[in-house]
Parts: sequence; structure tokens; C-alpha cells
Amino acid sequence: MVKIEQRPVTDGVNFRSIQDTRFKTMRIAVSFLLPIQKDTAAANALLPFLLARASRQYPDFTKLSQRLSELYGADINADVYKLGENQVLSIAALGLADRYALNGENISGDLAELLCGILFDPPITDGLFPPDGFHQEKRQTIEMIDSDYNDKRVFSRLRCEQIMCRDEAFGISRYGTREEIQSLELPRMTEIWEHALKSARIEIMALGDCDPRQIYEDFVRAFSKFSRGALEKCGTKVIKTVEKARDVTETMTVAQSKLVLGFRAGAAVPQDDVVPTKLMTAVFGGTPNSKLFLNVREKLSLCYYCAARYDWNKGILLVESGVETKNIERAKDEILRQLEEIKKGNVSDEEIGAAKLSLCNSYRTIGDFLGGLESWYLSQTFCKNVLSPEEAARQIRVVTKEQIVTAARNVVLDTVYRLEGKGEDQHGNEEDHK
Amino acid sequence: MEMKKITNERVKDSYYEVRHPSGLRIFIYPKEGCHSTYAVFGTRYGSIDSMFKRSDETEVCKVPEGIAHYLEHKMFESEDGDAFLRYAKTGASANAYTTFDMTCYLFSCTDRVYESLEILLDFVQSPYFTEQTVQKEQGIIGQEIRMYDDDPNWLVFFNLLRALYHKHPVRIDVAGTVESIAKITPEYLYRCYHTFYNLNNMALCVAGNIDPEKALALCDRMLKPSKPVHVDRIFEEEPKEIVQSRVEQKLSVAVPLFQLGFKEPARRLTEREIAQTEILLELMASDASPMFRTLLDASLINTSSFESEYFEGPGYSAVIFSGESKDPDAVAEIIRKEAERLRRDGIDPAAFERAKKAVYGRNVAALNSPESIANSMVSMTFAGRELFSYLDTLAETELADVQKRLAEQMLREYSALSVVSPIK
Repeated sequence: MVKIEQRPVTDGVNFRSIQDTRFKTMRIAVSFLLPIQKDTAAANALLPFLLARASRQYPDFTKLSQRLSELYGADINADVYKLGENQVLSIAALGLADRYALNGENISGDLAELLCGILFDPPITDGLFPPDGFHQEKRQTIEMIDSDYNDKRVFSRLRCEQIMCRDEAFGISRYGTREEIQSLELPRMTEIWEHALKSARIEIMALGDCDPRQIYEDFVRAFSKFSRGALEKCGTKVIKTVEKARDVTETMTVAQSKLVLGFRAGAAVPQDDVVPTKLMTAVFGGTPNSKLFLNVREKLSLCYYCAARYDWNKGILLVESGVETKNIERAKDEILRQLEEIKKGNVSDEEIGAAKLSLCNSYRTIGDFLGGLESWYLSQTFCKNVLSPEEAARQIRVVTKEQIVTAARNVVLDTVYRLEGKGEDQHGNEEDHK
Repeated sequence: MEMKKITNERVKDSYYEVRHPSGLRIFIYPKEGCHSTYAVFGTRYGSIDSMFKRSDETEVCKVPEGIAHYLEHKMFESEDGDAFLRYAKTGASANAYTTFDMTCYLFSCTDRVYESLEILLDFVQSPYFTEQTVQKEQGIIGQEIRMYDDDPNWLVFFNLLRALYHKHPVRIDVAGTVESIAKITPEYLYRCYHTFYNLNNMALCVAGNIDPEKALALCDRMLKPSKPVHVDRIFEEEPKEIVQSRVEQKLSVAVPLFQLGFKEPARRLTEREIAQTEILLELMASDASPMFRTLLDASLINTSSFESEYFEGPGYSAVIFSGESKDPDAVAEIIRKEAERLRRDGIDPAAFERAKKAVYGRNVAALNSPESIANSMVSMTFAGRELFSYLDTLAETELADVQKRLAEQMLREYSALSVVSPIK
């Protein structure tokens, strides 16, 4: 049985629950939304990781982890990401539903209490978080930046976004920079924590096989001890025109070159109808029947992947591919040519039908994953109307070819980013047998 | 044709098992309230099967490396068009993957499930290869291989396997090399297809929103009986010893990556042994373990990358620890010493109980997902194991079993460290 509810906890704190007993697990997620800014990005990014490692009741990282193990491998996950030009600091608790405990434990109740302890009652002494945890989380955040560099597909996408939006808040990394993290000082974290509880927009979600009323009460009680202040204003600047496209090539010792094309999509929430652009992106490069897959990959055999993704909170569209250096220009020309085809109206009913079915299918599948439901609803934080996956599927079905063509005509190229391999020949499968 | 219902009291779920007259083993796991259906049609044929002997032939056959994966790509094309094009009419999201020991074709859908299932059963039973279509794939797979050439996680893993294994084909990249795939012809593809895509060597698993009766009626109509041919996998004899204890490669990375592997004698393991090792790794290396804390406090690992895994299949098994570290050698030494300490001083009973609960909880949680159910059932079937009895085995594992298991696992002399480090 599925039961969906939504109600405020206090000013700017929203609680949403999807109670569904067919899941064997439950998930409680708390997201703090703050505008991303140069001087706070690093400190904000560190906060969820710092919080997730301890509470006053479990001030020791190992003791907290052991408690989670006892709760049948429950987990507290911290994450930070961008939603438009806002930074989302997220902490989620996930665990097994009580029915499956071998000895009748109250897993969900204990987990909700633990999560509230982590968020509202961290082990702060004399106004400071424990220094060892702070230093460990600084180091680990820097290593997450390094990890993005290790993955060349992620790295080139982030580079393209950064170059394209270098004068916008969107150009700020979700972690801040390495230097900003390094220079963070401990007292700052207490301010940041208090500020987040006081002034961030907060979205709480309770999903799966759990008792949302109990969880709601826990949060009402917790927030009653904090006075909420003026809410930070979240918003996103959307750019729709391009004076002159930028062209950037960087080199690195890699076997395969990467090509990322950054476009202004011409539509973003909340002001525009983004549904036609979503469908247009699927027709262009979102499925194995899309123009990019069928032409750049299947017809020209230039690559293994060539795909388009649309960020409708920021209003940008990126096309990514991995190709041989000598084929970069051919791939680029073909990608642009396929976009022109849509702009010219050369889109068949079969292509549109396939894209519609594919999108509707992926929307309806979301309901089977608690994590999927969480991101589904969070991604709509700034939309005028919040839709269920089924409602969104209905909207997709009625989009016309004319709307797709119009959406494509609003798409303009902003940045071409190439990561070119150098010294490819010395590299490859060789290993150093010493 | 008997439809056997398998139920587990602990998790309150059931599925149906059928040995179809065509030779195919079929598993159907309906999940009430589920929106989606996930189906996997798999063959017990992977990248390690480059040398084999059919029961109806006398000669041993050897084929180019990477052919199972190449075949996977080419199966999507048939005489009357592309399988993706057919799925486009049902909206299913389709894909396929090749591992060391199996090749699986799958789809996930929320509508027109029986049409999608028909497409799956049809195209996997209809090979069609020509010189031209085989040729076309060289560029695409070539770029897939190149992509992995830049993937530090992939490289650190295969370098480890080459440090552990002398002969076993698990040391060869699943996709082969640009050179080996150049030798692939339609004839080779047909040969492998007709050997391994025999329904007696395959399994079908459908989980989620599905009616077992309807699915089986469709199978009756679509499945073409296979000759009862048996295939022997042939491996050269693999020594017990490792090849080398350390291997390092330079790459464009910002932080070094490592994998530490402990090679074990080659034999297929029982459910009990796997369960014991899963609990052992949890108590030894999870976030809750003292060793994890030691490594973290010494700034040697991070929570986002450190992992342990039991890697095992036909003719290979190894415990592997992996992660990012500024000093992989120091991490490796701490892990080896921790295994020795646990062998010597014994496992802490409280740590054992916690680890057992954590592993059990995660395995039950995996039953949320039709995808996870279907993929696990296929791989467990090929390995001679079963989903529900594995859960029971976990719940019934005793500390003494795990301690005994540790006596023969994670031995220093069979360990190798693979490192990928930044280009200076």
C-alpha cells in the first residue's frame, strides 16, 4: 500500500513521506539547500561529511559505525551536489524495515533518533567540532576532488561546465576548490552548521516501509529547539544567448580523447516549460535509438558512447563522447549536424514515439527505488508544480513534433571542450613489471 | 513441466523455478506492487572461455580473446534489423553485459512486458553475422577498450589479476585487445554462438511485475529446443603461487589507487564458504572495524573508496581489498598483519555478531530491486547456488566457522599488491 503525504515542519522546512510496505527497507533523507557561493562552498561541502561521522551520543566514528552494523547494516550517507546554482547538503539514513529484523529490533525508530542526533546534537565541545574528525574530513574531501580527476569522463564534463559557466555561480565546484578546503578553520564549521539549520531551505523525506508520523514528530521536536532565521534566497541565473562560442583544448596523457559540447538549452525551471526540451534531448542523444547513438556510434563507428544530458535546473545541455584524437572534429561536426537535423524538422514519428516510450518507462521505474524517489522529488524543489512520475509521463506523451523542433531551435552552442591525449603511443595496456 | 514454488520464511518472498523441456532453466520472481519488470537471459559463457571442448566433438577449440564480449555486441543485430529498434516500440530499456564467466542480455520495462520478453527470447536465439557487420563493430569496441585504458580502477584490477595468475584467462581483459578482436570473423562468432548459446547452458530470470503463467506460455512458444550438448571449459593448469608480489603502473591520476589480492586454491566454493568470507570481510574491514579506524586515522584510506570483495569464479578465487591511498604499501602491510592477528588472537564475538547482522541486512535489502534479484539469480544458478538458501546460510553462520575459514584465507605468501600512481 502506498501513502503519500506532505506537510511543513516549520518555516522553510518541508516534510514529505511515501510510505510503501512493499519495500524491505526505509530511507530518511534530509537536504539543506543553500545558494552556492565562492566564500561558503568549501565549508558547506564539508558539513554533511563532518556531521555524518558522529553525534553526541556516539561521539566516536567507530562506535557510530558499530551501532549502524547492529542495526542490520544501516547506513548514514553524506553527499553534496548542485541543484541549479544551489548547493545541496544531504544526509540520508537507510536501513532494513523492522519486519525483517531477526530479533524483533525497532530499526527504523532507532535510526530516526540516530539521524536527529547527528543533525541537531553533534559532539561540539566549547563551540568546536572534534578537531580529528575535521582534519580527516578535510583530507577526504580533497581526495574526492582527486577522484573526479581520476575519472576522465567526469573530469571533462566538469571542466566543460566550469569553462562555460566561469562567470556564473554554476561555475563553482560542489566541493569548492582544494585551496579553499585546505584553508578552512575549525571554528567556521560551527557557524556553518548553525547557519544551515537556521537559514537553509530544508527538505526532509521519509520513504519506504516506515512510520512517517513518528519520524515527523521526531523532526518537529528537534526543530522546536532551534529558532529559524531569515531564509537564504535560492535562485539560478539562466543564460539563453551566446555571443561567440568558446573553444578550449587541453592535453593530458590519456589513451582516449574526450569531447564535450556545452549548449545553452534555452529553457529552465521555474520560468519555462522544460518538458519539450527533455523530450528533444532524448531524441537527440538520450537512448540507443537517438540520433547521436545511431549516427556517431553506429553509422560512423567513431565512439563507444555519445550522449546528451539536459540540466533543466540550470538550462544547459551537454553532449559527451570519447573518441580518437584524429576523429574529434568528425565527431563534433556530426553531433552539430544531428542537432541541425532536429532544428530543420527532420525528426520522424518513430523517433519521437521511441523517445516518449523510453522516457515514460524510465519515469515509471523510479517508483521502485527509494533513492530514485528521493532525487525525483528533490530535483523538482524549484518547479512551480511538483509532479509524480506518472504525471510527468503524461506530460511527455502529449508533446508535439513542433514543440520538439522549437525546443531544439532554442539550443545554442556555448563551449567546445576537448581533452586530447598526448603521447598515446607509449601508453595503453603496458604495465611496469618490476 | 513442473513449476516449483520456492519460498523463504525469513523474507516472506517466493519465486517459481521451471526446468523447461527446451533445456532452459527459468526463474520467475513476482513482486507485488512493483511498477517495473526486469528480465535477464544469460549464458554460462564469458571472457575466460577461449578454450573449450564440446561433448559431440573430439578436438579442443581455441578462439580469439574478447570474443564473448564481441558476440554480445553483435547479437543485437539480426537479419531483419536491430533489437534496439524493436525495443523502441515497447519502451523497454535494454542492455547487455559480459563478465569473466557469463554473458547476459537484459531489459527493464513498465509496460508491454510480454512483447519485450518476446523480443529478448527471439533475438538471443537468432544469430546473424556478416563480414560487414562484424567489421563495423571494430571501431566501436576499439573505443570501448580505449576508454578502459584510461580507467584507473579497471587497470589496477587487471594488473592485480596478472600479478596473481600465471595461466588462467581471468588475467585477460574481458573485451580482449585491439589486436585480438581484429582476428574475429563471422565464422568464429557462429562457432561460439552454437557452442555456448545452447539452452541447456543458459538461464532466464524475470523479476518484478510479472505473471508466471503468461511468461511461461510465451517461453513455450518462443524457445527452440537445443541439442543436449555439454561443453567443457579448458584451462591450463594454474600454479598455486602468485606471479609477482607487486606491480605498478603510472597514469594521469591525482591520487594513487591500489588493490591488494590474496590468491586462493582454485575450486568452486560452497554457499557456506562464501557466507563465511562475506562476514569475515565485514568484521575485518568495514567502517565499524578497528582496522578501518587505524587506516583512517593514519590518513591512509578514505571512506568513499575503501572496499573489500570476494572475487571468485570458475578456476579462480581471491580476496581483494581496494581503495585510494597516498601509501598503498603501508595499507597492504596493515591488512596482512590484521589477518595474521585475527588468526592468532581469534575473532571478537561482538564484532562477529555485528558483522553477521550487517551482511544479512544488506542481502535482504537487495531484494527490493528486481534488477538485483534477476542478476543475482542468474549468476548464482551458473555457480550452483541459490538466493534464499544463501540468506539462510548467512543467518546460520557461526563464529567458529568463520575462524576456521580464516585459517586458509588471506595468507601473506599468496598476496600481491597492484598500484596505479600519478605520472610525476
